[in-house]
Amino acid sequence: MSEVTHILDRVQQGDPKAAEELLPLVYEELRKLAAARMANEPPGQTLQATALVHEAWLRLTGNAAQEWNSRGHFFAAAAEAMRRILVDRARKKARQRHGGQLERVDLEHVTIATEDSDDTVLAIHEAIEKLARESAQQAEIVKLRYFAGLEHAEIADALGISEATVRRHWTYARSWLYAELKSSLTR
Amino acid sequence: MSETKQSLAEFLFEAALQKRDPAERSAFLDGVCRDDPALRARLDMLLEGHFQGEGFLGKKPLRAAQPLPARPTLKLAVPEEPPDEAIGTHIGRYKLLEKVGEGGCGVVYVAEQTEPVRRRVALKVIKLGMDTKQVVARFEAERQALAMMDHPNIAKVLDAGTTGEGESPIYNLQSPISPGRPYFVMELVRGIKITDYCDQANLSTKARLDLFIKICQAIQHAHQKGIIHRDIKPSNILVTLHDGVPVPKVIDFGIAKATEGRLTDNTVYTQLHQFIGTPAYMSPEQAEMSGLDIDTRSDIYSLGVLLYELLAGSTPFDAKELMSQGIDAMRKTIREKEPMRPSTRLAALGADELTTTAKQRSVETSKLMHQLKGDLDWIVMKCLEKDRARRYDTANGLAMDIQRHLSCEPVLARPPAGFMSFKRRCDVTSSALPPRQRLSFCWRSASR
Repeated sequence: MSEVTHILDRVQQGDPKAAEELLPLVYEELRKLAAARMANEPPGQTLQATALVHEAWLRLTGNAAQEWNSRGHFFAAAAEAMRRILVDRARKKARQRHGGQLERVDLEHVTIATEDSDDTVLAIHEAIEKLARESAQQAEIVKLRYFAGLEHAEIADALGISEATVRRHWTYARSWLYAELKSSLTR
Repeated sequence: MSETKQSLAEFLFEAALQKRDPAERSAFLDGVCRDDPALRARLDMLLEGHFQGEGFLGKKPLRAAQPLPARPTLKLAVPEEPPDEAIGTHIGRYKLLEKVGEGGCGVVYVAEQTEPVRRRVALKVIKLGMDTKQVVARFEAERQALAMMDHPNIAKVLDAGTTGEGESPIYNLQSPISPGRPYFVMELVRGIKITDYCDQANLSTKARLDLFIKICQAIQHAHQKGIIHRDIKPSNILVTLHDGVPVPKVIDFGIAKATEGRLTDNTVYTQLHQFIGTPAYMSPEQAEMSGLDIDTRSDIYSLGVLLYELLAGSTPFDAKELMSQGIDAMRKTIREKEPMRPSTRLAALGADELTTTAKQRSVETSKLMHQLKGDLDWIVMKCLEKDRARRYDTANGLAMDIQRHLSCEPVLARPPAGFMSFKRRCDVTSSALPPRQRLSFCWRSASR
C-alpha cells in the first residue's frame, strides 16, 4: 500500500493529524509532474491543472483508495498544493523580471491559474487570502476552481454541499475578487 | 470589513441581483444605502464585477480532452454535517446491520427486514451530502434500471423509498439518518467475485464457460430492457451457491445507462469512474471519451475482457501496467494497442505462473494451451475488436458462439476464409446428433 493510501485510510478513520501529512506528499508529486510537463512541452504551452492532479492521484495511490471521501481530501490537498506551486513559480519569475514589482492586472482577462500571467496569479492569490478571512468556504471554492480547475458540480461534491450553494457562493466570490482587485489598483 | 457588514453586503448583493430591471435595482440600492455611501460604493463595485462578463473569471477553465477528477465527498468546510453512524438504526422497515460497500454516490449496507417476511437484504442509500439534483437523478436512474430487470442472474430490486418518509415516528426519533435521501433495497447476494471463485474452486475451462454463458444471458436481458451496464468487471459479478450449484449474479448497475427514457447522467463522470476504478475493462470507445454514443457493444468488449481473464488468468492489458503509464498513455493503449491472443498470453507466462494458471483450471499446462488455441482465441478476440462493428452484435450472439464451441460446432468468430463450407457442415451435424452426445464427444476426446 502506498504511503498516501495509508494516510487516506487514517483520514477515513478520523485521525485528525492525517490530513496535514497529505499535503507535503501531494505537493512533492505535483511539483515533479509539473516540472516534467514543463520540460517536455514547447514554450507557451499551458499545464492542464486537472490532468496534473489526476495523474498525481494515480501515481501516489496507484488507484488503491476507492473511498470517495478519501479522494475528496486528496483533491483539496491537491488544489492547495497547486496553489503553492504556481504562486511560488510566479513569485520567482516576478522577482527576476522587475525586481518584485507587480504589473497591473488585466481584469478583462483572468481565467485560471495555469493559464494566467504570473502577476495575475499572485494578485488573485493575495485576494483569496483576504477573502479567506471573511469566508473560509468561499475562499475554498475559489481555490478549487482557480487552482485545480474544478467545475461547480465537482466542487460541490468535494465540499459536500449542493451545487446550488456553490453557484451562489461563486457568484458573490467572483464579484468580491473583482471589487478587491479593482480597489487595490486605485489605492 | 467587519463580519456583520460583510454578510450585509452579500445579502444586499443577492437581493439587488433579484431585481432584473436596472432602474428598479438602482432605486432599491438608493433606499437601503441612503445612510451609508461606502456600502453603496461597495455594492456598485460588486455588481460591476458580476456583470463584467466572461473576462474576469467568467470563462470556463480550459480543458484538453482530459478526464476530470473524480467527484469526491469531503466534509472539509461543512462542520455541521454529522458523521453517518447508521449501524443499528432503521431506514424504513430495514435495520442496518453492516456496511459492505461504498460506490460513487451510494453506500451499501446489509440490512434486516422483519415485515412482512424476515430476511436479510442489501440496502443502498445515497450518500450524505451528495443529494444534488444530478446525483439524485443518477441514483434514481440506477434504481429504475434494476427495477426493470427480472432475471435469475441479475440482483433483484425488492423495494425503494426515501429516508424519513412513511416511517413510524419512533424510528424517526431514533435515526440519525437525515431525511429525504433516496434508497433502494436489493436481494442480498452473498458471494465472491467470479474470478476468485473460479480460481479457488479450480474450475475447468468448460465450467468457466458455462458460468460465463449465464452472465451473457443476464447482460442480454439488460440490453433487451434498454440498459447498458457500462461497468462489467469481476467485482460486479458475484458467484453464490444455491444447493451447491454456483450461480453468478450481476450486481451494481451504478453507472448503467438507459438507452431511452429519461436518464440524466454526466457522461464524463461515469467514464472517469471507470478510469479511477478499472481501466482494464474499459472499451476503446469509452477510453476515447469523445462523446461518442456508447452502445451495448461496449458491454460486449468488457465481457470479452472478463472471458479473457477467466480463460487465461489475466486481463488483455495488465492493470498495473496501464495505471503506471498515466492517463494519456493509458487511453492510447486501450484505443490502439492490439492485445495478445489468450493462448499467446499463456505462452508468454513464466513457468510458475503457467503452472498455477493451469492448476486453477484443473488441467495440465499443455492441455490448457490446446483448449484456448483456435475457437476460444477467436471468440475472445472478436469481443475485443477495436472497431465495435466487428464485435458480436449481442451478448446472446457471444453466448451462442461459445455454446457452438462446446458442441464442437464451427464458431462464427473464425476468420472468414472457408466459413461457408464450415457452415454447411454445421447444418448437417446439428440435425444428426443430439446435443448431449456431441458434448461428451468433444470434451472427452483427446484430439481437443
